[in-house]
Amino acid sequence: MKSMFSIREGGAASWALRLVAAAVVAAAVLWVPTSTGAGTIQTAIEALVLISAAMSLNILLGYTGQISIGHSAFLGMGAYTTGILVSSYGWSPWLTFPAAFVLSFTLGVIVSFPASRIKGVYLALVTLSLALVFPQVVTWKKLAWLTGGGSGLPTKDAVVADTGFNIGAAKRGQMQYFEIFGWDPFGDLRKPDNKAAFWYWIAMGVVAVVYLVARGMVKSRVGRSMVAIRDNETAASVMGVNVVATKALVFGISAGLCALPGCVTAIKTGGVSPEGIQSLTVRGAITFLIVMVVGGAGSLWGPVVGGAVYVFVTDKTGAWSDDASIPALLRPFFGWAKVPPSDGIFAILLIVLMFVAPRGLVGVWRQYSPRIVRVLPRPAGAVGRSTMATMAMSTTDSEGEHE
Amino acid sequence: MKRTKGLAAVIAAGALLIAACSDDKTTQTVTSPSTGETTAVETTVATGETTVETVADTTPVTDPPAEGWMVDTEACVDPDAANAPIEGTIKIGSAMPLSGGAAAAAFAPVKDGYEAYINYANENGLLGDIAIEIAIEDDQFNAELTPGAVSKLIDTGVHIFSGIIGTANNAAVRGTLNDNCIPQLANLTGSPAWGDVADYPWTTGQLAPYTVESKIYAAQIAEQFPDGATVSLFHVNNEFGQVYVDAFTEIADEFGITIVSEETIEATDLAPPVAQITNIAAQAPDVIMAVPLGAQCISFLTEVANAKAANSGWAPAVFLTNTCASSLILGASGPSADGLYTSSNLIDVVDPANAEIPEVAEYLAVMAAAGKAEVAATAVAGWTTAETTVAILIQAAASPAGLTQASIINAARNFNYEPTLGLDGVVFKMNGEEDPFMAESLVVRQYAVAADGSGTFTDVGELITEFES
Repeated sequence: MKSMFSIREGGAASWALRLVAAAVVAAAVLWVPTSTGAGTIQTAIEALVLISAAMSLNILLGYTGQISIGHSAFLGMGAYTTGILVSSYGWSPWLTFPAAFVLSFTLGVIVSFPASRIKGVYLALVTLSLALVFPQVVTWKKLAWLTGGGSGLPTKDAVVADTGFNIGAAKRGQMQYFEIFGWDPFGDLRKPDNKAAFWYWIAMGVVAVVYLVARGMVKSRVGRSMVAIRDNETAASVMGVNVVATKALVFGISAGLCALPGCVTAIKTGGVSPEGIQSLTVRGAITFLIVMVVGGAGSLWGPVVGGAVYVFVTDKTGAWSDDASIPALLRPFFGWAKVPPSDGIFAILLIVLMFVAPRGLVGVWRQYSPRIVRVLPRPAGAVGRSTMATMAMSTTDSEGEHE
Repeated sequence: MKRTKGLAAVIAAGALLIAACSDDKTTQTVTSPSTGETTAVETTVATGETTVETVADTTPVTDPPAEGWMVDTEACVDPDAANAPIEGTIKIGSAMPLSGGAAAAAFAPVKDGYEAYINYANENGLLGDIAIEIAIEDDQFNAELTPGAVSKLIDTGVHIFSGIIGTANNAAVRGTLNDNCIPQLANLTGSPAWGDVADYPWTTGQLAPYTVESKIYAAQIAEQFPDGATVSLFHVNNEFGQVYVDAFTEIADEFGITIVSEETIEATDLAPPVAQITNIAAQAPDVIMAVPLGAQCISFLTEVANAKAANSGWAPAVFLTNTCASSLILGASGPSADGLYTSSNLIDVVDPANAEIPEVAEYLAVMAAAGKAEVAATAVAGWTTAETTVAILIQAAASPAGLTQASIINAARNFNYEPTLGLDGVVFKMNGEEDPFMAESLVVRQYAVAADGSGTFTDVGELITEFES
């Protein structure tokens, strides 16, 4: 296959390309809160929540090959941890993030032990049961003293009030400004744009944390063990990988990370209940799966692309129950629909991708981008030990992506 | 070949994305004509069609602007904006479940009724020279999506919100709207939370509080069972259901009611409640007090009918939340709905006996002209909510301050209005902190299904007004 350009990995052109890519990402990240309105920022937050949840799932499914349809429960753990600790115990929302991570990590490790003995569809069913049971448990009347039961949190006088950072009018004792050592980056948080920007940066911070943890894991010895387990569990075990411990660790970290977007959602929504936050129901678990698969499982950037595409399509087709909102070109195809067709679009997209691009949109990019720019690997002598070790363990690249 | 298939898939996906990007219009704008007793109206709707028709002036009559409770705009993020005159066009925003699960199936027609009345108001120049624009976003009854939907509408310059459906959905945006002094009128939920005038002065509810409805059912049960009644509760396991049940439980003893069992259904559960109704049937209560959500009303009634058939001699009286009491839902339930009790404060617009009432005839004609006749029974909630909102706007426009966001909430909180489709004696009124709820009167109704499958409501007793503040 011929390429328009060829550059060498580690060379000046390669670094320039990376800098351009980083600049584009940074510009996009900055553009949303500085140049758009609260509506667009809120939509971006929805995408960021999905991206972090799908990234955490990706560690488990994409890199370790452990199917989970139960990550909505871990996100719910995060949301309820924030809801309970803030509204019932007066904790600072910041402190609820590590607390949620620890609690969800523990739940993930517990789930991993039975999961370590089963795989494939059986594991999927076990995790699915987790997703189904979680909303039932938190709405259970006998736990209403803690979770608010079916009404959710907060419960004071059956009023769903602002929770989380409690932004609002001073007379309600709520926060109006957020200063960092005297610097006020957002201004009056009661303004919709400023409030949305504040939430946006929290959500973006969570994405950054989840990405860095995922990247660190994938590029570490644990990451190579994960990929080895995914590709051939028996071979990995023979090579000295502690399969049970690795699965438990990955399950725990994946669950813990998935709790973090749950905290963000609880803060943003101002209340926690399965009805109010549908991401913590089984629908959420399936959405995370869709986002990851559409973007590209086993790729660090897959969930980012998948989340952006998912929210974009859902947002743009949201009004399609009204014929007048459907672009004229597509009206003959969607005019009959009484509901927005995003679910149908993603169902079709998933089927198509499974046949033609099982590694998602990032996989498609990786397949066709060399026609424009091919990055030639460094000379053999420049290959580091870690890369050689990876090559020895599997036929995957340093991020666990199949060649 | 494989490469070609891959490219085809990419192109197809890209085409979908481009198409999705090309048009996201959700606003239906109708230009307002001049006012007059009889007016020729030219209406331009989003589809580009133009119609000319002659209509009679039916401007709702409201009491003169009251002087009483006044909102404090000093607490607003931008007090000047709250007091700035609204000229030319007033933009109303809302978020409703237009797609999604059980709630969407039942509540989506509310949008049709709302839009129909706004078109009607514009065509008849009810707000004088000011045109009314309505923009409704779909939040799928998911409170996670409501802040985004509302923020988008604020970005487009919406002046007020009205008719947002769902307690959690309204609560999710209440803080933002109050901080920015954007009126959040006529919440389509009966949560008592909307009575918090001190902390959330810019938020008002439209429906009778669920606590009031519960008490009215309890009083009716006591009347039907003077020696005391056994009652089983069946409710959706969320705040909506819990408020009913808490209120009913609190007053049960007072009315000689013994609660023998309580069964719940999750808000997102679309499966028939077979186990729950079997458990209720095992208790053989005199009454079932039911608070399901949306499409769950149909499956609940079907399962109760099945249980009655399987337990001969057991014929409980069924009291069903009035959020289920539309012909759309009860009609879909067929004979299962026969004999149930519910409540309302509006005329049954699809009862042929009411067809001669001028307001009903006009409503049905407007809905038929809009091609929405089949959802007229459910859409009446949207129509009445829009009518109430426009009446508030008219009152605000007539106030000394003219039409501003502040004058709108002042008008809403000093309101006294007889809805055109309301039952005789129904008055929508609020009076600052003294009376924070719009509607607190209801009449108990019984639903009867005829042999041909059609259903009608019959009032049981008089309009109950004793819970009015």
